[in-house]
Amino acid sequence: MLNRIFGLETEYGLLVHQDRPDHSPTWFAHKIRDHLFQVRRRGVLDLHHRGHDEPPGNGGFLTNAGRIYLDMGHLEYASPECHSLTDAVATDRAGDAILQQAIEEAGLADHVSLIKNNVDHETDATFGSHENYLVSRRFPFTRRGLGPLVTFLVTRQIFTGSGRVGAARPQDAWIQMDRLIVPRAATGQGPGGPHLPFQISQRADHIVNDFFEWVQQNRAIVNTRDEPLADPNQYRRIHLLLGDSNMAEYATALKLGTTGLVLQLIEDGTAPRDLDIVEPVEALQDISQDQDRRWLVQLHSGKTISAIDIQEQFLEAAERRYRGQDEETDWVLQQWRSVLQDLRGDYERLVGRVDWASKLWLLESFREAEKLDWSDPMLKSLDLEYHNLHPGKGLYYGLMEEGRVPRLITDKAIALATEHPPRNTRAFGRGELVRHLLACGSPPEAEHSKPDERYFPSYVINWSIFQLRGQAPFPMPDPFRTYVQEVRDHLSLA
Amino acid sequence: MIYRTSPERREGPVNPMPKSPSPSEEGSGPRRPEPGSPEKDSLLKRMRKVDPKQAERYRQRTGE
Repeated sequence: MLNRIFGLETEYGLLVHQDRPDHSPTWFAHKIRDHLFQVRRRGVLDLHHRGHDEPPGNGGFLTNAGRIYLDMGHLEYASPECHSLTDAVATDRAGDAILQQAIEEAGLADHVSLIKNNVDHETDATFGSHENYLVSRRFPFTRRGLGPLVTFLVTRQIFTGSGRVGAARPQDAWIQMDRLIVPRAATGQGPGGPHLPFQISQRADHIVNDFFEWVQQNRAIVNTRDEPLADPNQYRRIHLLLGDSNMAEYATALKLGTTGLVLQLIEDGTAPRDLDIVEPVEALQDISQDQDRRWLVQLHSGKTISAIDIQEQFLEAAERRYRGQDEETDWVLQQWRSVLQDLRGDYERLVGRVDWASKLWLLESFREAEKLDWSDPMLKSLDLEYHNLHPGKGLYYGLMEEGRVPRLITDKAIALATEHPPRNTRAFGRGELVRHLLACGSPPEAEHSKPDERYFPSYVINWSIFQLRGQAPFPMPDPFRTYVQEVRDHLSLA
Repeated sequence: MIYRTSPERREGPVNPMPKSPSPSEEGSGPRRPEPGSPEKDSLLKRMRKVDPKQAERYRQRTGE
């Protein structure tokens, strides 16, 4: 899409099949990472400290220019920079495929399952699906400027949510009250009771602020960390962590596409105004938990309005400004309208396109067939199984097998994206670098490297710069440039 | 490079989105599963294979 770079970061859950204390999810995460980098040589491990929790060998860049690494015990995949929704969906699915394939190749498939969800029903743990959107540095990154974005994000869950059984009551959340950061438990606030049957979002219960820079215990609707991973004079990276991991390609594309267009409206100063929501964090949770799916919110103007009506105002503004901008924009506008129209009717119309609707339909079908109450623990297990990446087990893949899921990309495109980067962003140049390093032979394993390699590693790769030992740093500050010829020239001197 | 004016920035999508049918229109696009259909039976069969205790065993750490 015009003027936009997209990226997704996904933390995966690992379901261990047998109760063995020596085989924790983190133990499997290490095995899978090691298989990918040391056996399959899918990429090159970092040789340098990227941060206090990312020592050498913790993860690395892949030949598709994305990253796989361990983050707080979770396997995490960060997609390469994408300039189109097609690439964004393909590289997201490629991450799923790389990890699922690794489990099968390593002989671990009977012992562990990859679950692409965001919650643990039993412990209230949550883990993220983070979205990244590159915007101009002139983007009005102020409370007033971000007001329309908050309103859009609070209400977009009606078609981006993945749904879950029950509600979370995280006790470790901290919130900002006036100028103080206090534990939410001390305030008496928090999401609904433990007997909630079903809600449309996985992450809503875990979002406790409107704006904040932390990513744990104080997750915000808009994360305010200023880390563009690009030229900071030209760009800002909008980093969102309130969204759910989507199984449906359609939902992933619509989530990224609609959010990209709303950011464009804000950049152009044409986003709908007078839609500021009273208490947006509470509204986020109220919408998610509304069993009647009326999704009403109160505005500062005093008006009460539905999330669908709010979304339609954003859609109409985007249609006026951007229809005909490019093919992807037209696709997003058409499908945005289609989904909003269908959300006014029976939710079953959205099965296959919207994850919460697919999951709810599956659970209701099972409840009806087995005559189960919503409190039956089986439903939580089915909720997890919707996100199982094993094609023969996962319930989403079951819907796909039955032809109920519209596909936006082919399996061949996904397979290509597991190995090759997009060819119209700086991911192309980084992919060349990773291939060059792999062709030069196995890089030394971080934990066994010689002392001088620890202090002067043979390569250092970050998103916007890399350096080979003995050579000058190679900056890549513009994610819209491929740098591919410059990288090849640089490597020819190595 | 100036935001919005670079030719590379204006590059269109490499693979345009497919012309997706409108699922809300009668007779086109994905249909909702019909109750009692073989497809639904197949999905129920898949669901019945799920370990009822697996949610208790999930035990994930909090991430970001």
